[in-house]
Amino acid sequence: MPPLLSVERLTKYFAGLAALQDVSFEVEEGQICGLIGPNGAGKTTLFSIIAGSVSPSSGTITYSGKDVTRWKSFQAVRAGVARTHQITRPFRSMTTRQNVEMGLYFGRGPVSGSTSNEVAEILEGVGLGRVADRPAASLCVGDQKRLELARTLAAKPKVLLCDEVCSGLTETEMNEVLDLLRRSRERGTTILYVEHNMRAIMSTCDQVVVLNFGEKLTEGPPMKIQNDSAVIEAYLGKTAAG
Amino acid sequence: MQMGRFLNYRLAGWGTLLMVLGILPCLGISSNLTRLLFTALVWIIASVAWNLLGGVTGQVSFGFAVFYGLGAYAAAMGINGGLHPLAAFTFSGLVAALASVFIGLPTFRLRGPYFAIATIGVSEAVRVVMTNLSFTGGASGYRIAEHGRFRPLEHYYTALGFSAVAVVISAWIHESKFGLSLQAVREDEEAAADIGVNPLKAKLMVHLLAATLTGIAGGVYARYAAYIHPQGVFGFHTSVAILLMPIIGGAGTVAGPVIGGFVYGLVQEELVAAFPQFHLLLYGALLIVIILFEPQGVTGWLGKLRGFIERIWRKSATASVG
Amino acid sequence: MDAADFVNLMVSALLLAGIYAAMSVGMTIIYGVMKIVNLAHAGFLMLGAYYVLELHERLNIDPLVGSVLAFPAFLLAGMLVHWTLVKRIPVSDQPTLASLLLMFGLWLVLQNIGYLIWGGSDRSILTSRTLSSMHLGPITISTVRVMVFIPAVCSLGLLEFVLRKTWYGRAVRALMQNRYAGRLAGIPVEKMARLTFGVGIGFAGAAGGLLAQLYSFSPDFGHGFLLRSFVIIVLGGLESFWGAAAGALVLALVETFSILVLPAGYQPAIAFSLLVLALVLLPGGIAGIFAKKHRWA
Repeated sequence: MPPLLSVERLTKYFAGLAALQDVSFEVEEGQICGLIGPNGAGKTTLFSIIAGSVSPSSGTITYSGKDVTRWKSFQAVRAGVARTHQITRPFRSMTTRQNVEMGLYFGRGPVSGSTSNEVAEILEGVGLGRVADRPAASLCVGDQKRLELARTLAAKPKVLLCDEVCSGLTETEMNEVLDLLRRSRERGTTILYVEHNMRAIMSTCDQVVVLNFGEKLTEGPPMKIQNDSAVIEAYLGKTAAG
Repeated sequence: MQMGRFLNYRLAGWGTLLMVLGILPCLGISSNLTRLLFTALVWIIASVAWNLLGGVTGQVSFGFAVFYGLGAYAAAMGINGGLHPLAAFTFSGLVAALASVFIGLPTFRLRGPYFAIATIGVSEAVRVVMTNLSFTGGASGYRIAEHGRFRPLEHYYTALGFSAVAVVISAWIHESKFGLSLQAVREDEEAAADIGVNPLKAKLMVHLLAATLTGIAGGVYARYAAYIHPQGVFGFHTSVAILLMPIIGGAGTVAGPVIGGFVYGLVQEELVAAFPQFHLLLYGALLIVIILFEPQGVTGWLGKLRGFIERIWRKSATASVG
Repeated sequence: MDAADFVNLMVSALLLAGIYAAMSVGMTIIYGVMKIVNLAHAGFLMLGAYYVLELHERLNIDPLVGSVLAFPAFLLAGMLVHWTLVKRIPVSDQPTLASLLLMFGLWLVLQNIGYLIWGGSDRSILTSRTLSSMHLGPITISTVRVMVFIPAVCSLGLLEFVLRKTWYGRAVRALMQNRYAGRLAGIPVEKMARLTFGVGIGFAGAAGGLLAQLYSFSPDFGHGFLLRSFVIIVLGGLESFWGAAAGALVLALVETFSILVLPAGYQPAIAFSLLVLALVLLPGGIAGIFAKKHRWA
């Protein structure tokens, strides 16, 4: 079965500097694929390109068999590819509820029956029920992260791009979010997941892609990656790799 | 406050206003007051329109006179050509709507202040062209030759009708999915796109709506004045007026542009008569004060006032109990 | 059109370009360092014109000297404006609507002050130079244009020198590129902002004085120049003064040679048409004006 999402020789230059160089990998439907790498490796750039916020300098992206390299982000969302932001971007003048409504109204849809029920369900699912009618600007960091995720989930993506959803969360909060991701996968969502927290990656991902300095270092199942010396070297330096 | 009661209060408020304005002329008010109210109502149409683009969607245009002027000339030429006034106003709206697409497509690539300045350029360029165009009368202007007596009440109720329509449209947008998308575009265009909103399409649509209403306002004014010229209807001061009203009244709200329209329409006329030399100073200073201290304009002040009164009310209630 | 006419037009355009460049510099500086689109620039151009007029009529000071004297006066005025108004609005590395509207309000106030003091009728500065012309072979140039061009270009040269060779200039360039990093590097950002705003207004005042010798003016003067300044900035890019000079040249050339094909009445629309053309033909955008695709983390 062909992969749901595939990225081929993706390259991106920002004013002469290669943020991404010839990156290629594939994501099967129903997988949780982790994307890791030291800071500056190009993970968020890769996300932005796949999600349509930025266009690549060269290379192709194929989704469901179609070439979608140059799509815009709102087209991506309608087709089922939606992202969260590493630094949350809630619509501050709206309430929590309205933020989630945005995802519902403008996402892939279809909107079944009563929107308010669906919204309430999603809010409960991430634990934001009690702050549903507060302005988004008043939420604490953890709640804002959850709102970001809830809003994106409301768009009913087939491919969910999660950008460091666990950063800034406590242990318990993180486990809740990971649970949420696993449940989404059970419902058929494919997840591409950028994360720094190794435990989160190891415990949820089916496969992991490692980036370093804009290039793909290696890929494979979490266990293999954990013990790969090149990966260890990239994160911790030569001596740590032994 | 519960949503239901709140909505009813608002509806009652608007309804009362509409009734009062509807009945006033029949109560024998002076023709001067009728003229003032008419002016205010025409301004309100444009003010509510501008607010949809500038206040709700955050695209501040300094060049709405272009739609006002196009609407004015379209109606004027239409009426001279034999059109019924309502058909002429429809023509005004259509011309302005078409112009909005041509103007929006290149200018909406720009953000914030750059968009604002580009709109000045558009408006000024059209004014220059109209000043030189001979078949519309050029700088000497254009006259409407309408048969029949001048009936001020007809103009008044036309303006009232269209401004009511404008307010209803504005209120509907505020509650709708479309309005939510506009708010999102205002706040964070990229995040809006990331959640599925097409920002360009949203902007173009609200721009079209706002332009149509403003064009109609220009048409209604033109028919009343029976004489228009480029320096007036396409003038930069017209764009300024259309922009000042909603900002003073409260950008982004439904009531704000209406309040601003009344303030500007009524006060402006009296002010220009009494202290012609101060009105720019007044508006400039008001704008500065609003930006520095209360960006929500009059509705912001009223909101704070209401909050203040509520707190005093509660304090006195608990005091009397304790 | 023969060669002499062409050369005449060319020279005219060059002279105009120098003046346009000097006129837009004030706006460029303020935008570059503070990301504020200064609509009140027009108001200060106007006040500069009247300042030089008064110096000329009351104290018999030559308008060229008056323009030079305008610089320090307006520098102080600019710093005062910054201290009372500008520093109270939030600052960001993107231009804000609040700053735009604030400057616009200020412009309205300045216009009114102009009307109150000098009334609405057109004024102009006439000297022996105004009506005379110089002849260099087949070329005829209006004397006053040359006399205004020279200080304009000198001021640009001085500005370039200050920017490249002095500490202040380096600090300004640093802030133009990255305000936050500048602060980390020890640049006193608030003081710099105040001084730079003053410098921008100083240039506006001086440029107003120069322009007053070429055009008649009234309190709503500066309106057309505001648009032209912006066109220059869009054409030439915001971060470099060579870019602004190039933009000024393009604008001046197009305006001057357009007389050959357009009736004079349409000339004011040139600036705008150039603006739209630049926008449509440069879809990649001139850095800084079109929204960034990424937000800085």
